[in-house]
Formats: sequence, C-alpha cells, structure tokens
Amino acid sequence: MNVILKLASLGIKLLKANDFETWVLSLEVMGESLYKDEVFALQFRFEPQYPISSPEVVFVNDEVYRVPIHPHVYSNGHICASILGNEWSPVLSVTAVCITLQSMLASCTEKERPPDNDRYVRSAPKSPKNTRFHYDGELLPTV
Amino acid sequence: MKVTVKSWHAIAQWRWDTGQSGDDAEGEEDVCGICRVPYEACCPSCKMPGDDCPLMWGECTHVFHMHCIIKWLGTQASKQQCPMDRRPWVTASQRKGASNNNNANPNANPNGAVPNANA
Repeated sequence: MNVILKLASLGIKLLKANDFETWVLSLEVMGESLYKDEVFALQFRFEPQYPISSPEVVFVNDEVYRVPIHPHVYSNGHICASILGNEWSPVLSVTAVCITLQSMLASCTEKERPPDNDRYVRSAPKSPKNTRFHYDGELLPTV
Repeated sequence: MKVTVKSWHAIAQWRWDTGQSGDDAEGEEDVCGICRVPYEACCPSCKMPGDDCPLMWGECTHVFHMHCIIKWLGTQASKQQCPMDRRPWVTASQRKGASNNNNANPNANPNGAVPNANA
C-alpha cells in the first residue's frame, strides 16, 4: 500500500492488475518536460517465465490514451529501450521499468517519431519482444 | 490414524545469515531480488523453506535463492552476469564477512544456514 501511495506522487498509477498476465499503469512526467499535462498508459504482459524473461511493455493506444511522440517510441506503442531487451535484469520491478520510461520521456528534447517509424510499424511483429532492436543510440530495428 | 496436535513447544529457530539485520525499518523482510519472496521462505518453485532451497552468494556479495539465480544464469539473456550489478557472476566460495566458520560453501554443500538457536 505504501508503495502505491509513493508511486502516485511520482505520477505512476496502477489502472489494471486483475491477474498475473496483464497489467496496465498510467504514467505522467512530473515537473517541466515536453510531456507536461499528458498522461500515458503502459501495458505489461508477463509470461510464465517472468521475471527471468522480460515483460512485454508497450504504450497503450486507444480511445483514452495516446502513444507519446518520442524518438524511441513507435506509433504502434513499441518502445526501443535496452532494459526491455538485451539489458533486461530479473531484479527490475514494474516500478523500475515505469521510472526508467518516465525518465526517458523527461529527458526528451524534441518530440518526434523514430526516423524509421513507418517502415517499422508496417512490418512490426505483434510483440516488441520479437523485434531485435539496436540500442546504440541509433534507431535501426531489424525486424 | 488421525493425529491431533494438542500443544507444541518450540525449542529453536533458524534463519539464513544474509549479513543483514533481517526486517528493515518498515518491518519488511529481506527478499530475493529476483522472485521478491523473503529469503526465509523458499523460491516460487519450491514448497518448503530450508536446506533444499538454499541461498547463493556471488563474490559481488549479492545473494539470491539458489534456484532463482541458477534459473537466470541458465538463460542466454543473463550473459552470466549478476542481475544486480551486471558484473560476471562468480559464486562465492565463502560468504564475505562471515562471522564464523559455520557458513557452508554454497558450491560444495547447499547448507548455507547458520543455526541460530534462540531457545
């Protein structure tokens, strides 16, 4: 309970966690940033192997929530972040992932889509876990 | 035959010697960073805490349920690194800072428990 209250002050709220398969959290960037007053939703999907295997994390795109415009976030909600891919660690909690993505948004200097957004979204696998992203700062996903 | 326990008398308790005080300021027990289950309980794959579900230390001093860290190191994604500090995982032969010689070698014998008899 303490954790939930603490998170609310950080701009992270649990919207849905009815089972151990899919959780949805809302996320906003506190303080001054390009995303001031915007609220996003993150969907986590956990495989039975979680936390040994990473969760599938995407930004929700529905009637209520929009995918943030960010150079590491594709318009289909897929996120290019190393901690969700080859730098996953089983000690990373849902909170830690949320805070990392929050800081990714907070440090954004220009609201734009990844340069290869259209090409990626056209042929992207359903789960970003099946995308082999390159995390060297360049955005060159190989589908 | 049905046995009814009428009374019981505890004579000892034990806990893993993680080198930490146990409960933190908020009264929460120390948990395995991988499965988030207290060290004193067993990993999610086991049913009973104890010697069959021991803890395992790395030379980096990080500690996990043995089954949890082995599962992680068994994946390619682990790159054989400690989940906490991403340094190459080296199982400690003797826990650093061990207060006495009763601490077993987790490699040789998974009896990392230090009996802590508080009669």
